[in-house]
Amino acid sequence: MFDAPNPGTDVTQNTLKITARGVQVFYGEKQALQNVDVDILDKTVTAFIGPSGCGKSTFLRCFNRMNDTVASARVQGEILLDGENIYDKRVDPVQLRAKVGMVFQKPNPFPKSIYDNVAYGPKIHGLTRSKAALDQVVEESLRKAALWNEVKDRLHEAGTGLSGGQQQRLCIARAVATSPEVLLMDEPCSALDPIATAQVEELIDELRASFSVVIVTHSMQQAARVSQKTAFFHLGNLVEYGDTSTIFTNPTDPRTESYITGRIG
Amino acid sequence: MTDLASTNFPSDVPPRATSSLLVQSARVKKRNAAEKRFKFYGVAAISVSLSVLAIMLWTIFSDGLSAFTQATFTFPVTLEEERLDPQGNRDRAEMMRVTTIGYTNLLNQELVTYLGERGISTEGVSDAEIAAFISRNTPARLRQMVIDNPDLIGQTIRFDGFATGRIDGFLKGRVTRESAERDTNISVAQLDLADRLVDEGILSSQFNWSFLTNPDASDQRPEAAGLGVALIGSAYMMVLVALMVLPLGVAASIYLEEFAPKNRWTDLIEVNISNLAAVPSIVYGILGLAIFINFAKLPQSSPMVGALVLTLMTLPTIIIATRAAIRAVPPSIRDAALGVGASKMQTVFHHVLPLAAPGILTGTILGLAAALGETAPLLLIGMVAFVANYPSGPLDGGFLDPATALPVQVYSWASRSDPAFIERSAGAIIVLLAFLVVMNIVAIILRRRFERRW
Repeated sequence: MFDAPNPGTDVTQNTLKITARGVQVFYGEKQALQNVDVDILDKTVTAFIGPSGCGKSTFLRCFNRMNDTVASARVQGEILLDGENIYDKRVDPVQLRAKVGMVFQKPNPFPKSIYDNVAYGPKIHGLTRSKAALDQVVEESLRKAALWNEVKDRLHEAGTGLSGGQQQRLCIARAVATSPEVLLMDEPCSALDPIATAQVEELIDELRASFSVVIVTHSMQQAARVSQKTAFFHLGNLVEYGDTSTIFTNPTDPRTESYITGRIG
Repeated sequence: MTDLASTNFPSDVPPRATSSLLVQSARVKKRNAAEKRFKFYGVAAISVSLSVLAIMLWTIFSDGLSAFTQATFTFPVTLEEERLDPQGNRDRAEMMRVTTIGYTNLLNQELVTYLGERGISTEGVSDAEIAAFISRNTPARLRQMVIDNPDLIGQTIRFDGFATGRIDGFLKGRVTRESAERDTNISVAQLDLADRLVDEGILSSQFNWSFLTNPDASDQRPEAAGLGVALIGSAYMMVLVALMVLPLGVAASIYLEEFAPKNRWTDLIEVNISNLAAVPSIVYGILGLAIFINFAKLPQSSPMVGALVLTLMTLPTIIIATRAAIRAVPPSIRDAALGVGASKMQTVFHHVLPLAAPGILTGTILGLAAALGETAPLLLIGMVAFVANYPSGPLDGGFLDPATALPVQVYSWASRSDPAFIERSAGAIIVLLAFLVVMNIVAIILRRRFERRW
């Protein structure tokens, strides 16, 4: 029924990157996420799956504190990145977001040139000292995002002029340019056609070598193809979390089984 | 699964007629008719407004275009030394002693003499009546010319002098022989003479630059009245308003839209901004009178006070327009910037503001245009005064000198008795409209330029 789970070899040896303990999120009075505990491994693709409104995107947005921008949102519990609580009062979300990059559901390049899109992050964080160094970062990022060959001759044209798939890879390049340690992807392929989706998925697998990738997806096939770990959310609860192969072939919770076989969703 | 087939519809619904697609059913006909009617209403509304606009423009232009021409005498004038510089030493102070009356007598005499030389019959018109042809503004201009350039004394120059308002009106068709019979200021014989002067090329209608440059003039000299002071006053006010309203409005909008917490206080502020936008402009005039003139003791009639009042008046409008422009920037751009670690401030200044700039500029320029045409608050702070002196340059404290403004000048001319002022009033409206059109064009160009960047 599904593609064979990614033979991403054994990831159990990888070190712990993010530890979430007792995370609860409220939007006003409404609780969107209840007591979630998850350990995210380094250099691993972790997929969050679940029906719409189950809290998986909300949880993802806790990792770089994007929920701070929603006035009514309130987060409880603790999330440790390399042992440091990112919800500590002393943490500036600006510094956190340089370490934890994000790619959004819809490609959202800035209405600037391709070069400026990628160079923006390094510029505001002062990561490069010279124009040449910046050029190099831009090229490396675009190469990592598998976009370099397509755009190297038109770096100074508008990023919004690219195709949807190229725009999404540009957004990945932009996120990669600040050399983050974790890359969050919120349904990065939902606005893309199958060919562009395949390219991005291939890219995700390559990015795993350098980062810890957390991806929210609606497509179970996609989760099975790209991830080594999968977490299944339902109605604001983390139902099951484990190796992707286990979740898809031998789930312990009946709700997980119902979801992956298509009975709920 | 479902049993749709067996669902019983209420029996009073008539069965659908099984008819041809080529024939319109009654319902469809009715719907199409309604659509046609609606389109007709729209076209009718637009045609009515366009024709009203056309009538308005036609009235203004037919009344006002003549303000840009002026009946002018052209004749040689010998500037005799013994009359204009009795000491003969070309000393400025000495020459200033010869008053306008001296020049008036000279001009009157020269005109009468010249008519005699040309053999133009002045039958039925006394010399004093001939002299009455010349505007009282004209000798003053000649005097200024001579004092500025004493070398002219002793020469014979071809001088262009304004005719009085009545003669000007006769050339423009406003004064007729019938109206002259009832007018103590002009006689039919004078008009006959004016006709002969036109034939001889001594009297002609010329383009009137002084309408744009002269200051206002008294009731008796409509031909000398110009928009100079009003133009300077309006220009000063627009500069000051733009300098004050843009930073204030944009800063307030950015704060309210991007930084302010959503609570009862910001709700209150928001409601009040909308309310302030609806406050009648004359109320701002009273506010300006109370605060800026009576309390802060700023000079009345000054462009500075006018600009402060107009700033208060346009600020709500500009804040509303700017906030709308900022809100129109897609949230995904903010997410993108925050996502790579930009601070709130960087997000706003690097991404949101550049994208909102066309909307902000359009709103600001339209707000300025509204301020340019505003009259009521300026009446209350004394800008309706008769101002015959130009304000000084902007660096010499000109912002605090008395001045008027274009719309106020329109108002004050329209309320004067001489019909010549009605024509000037309409002329001033044309100038005002020209400025408004220019400002709107600038708004469009700026919007296009900023939008075209990507």
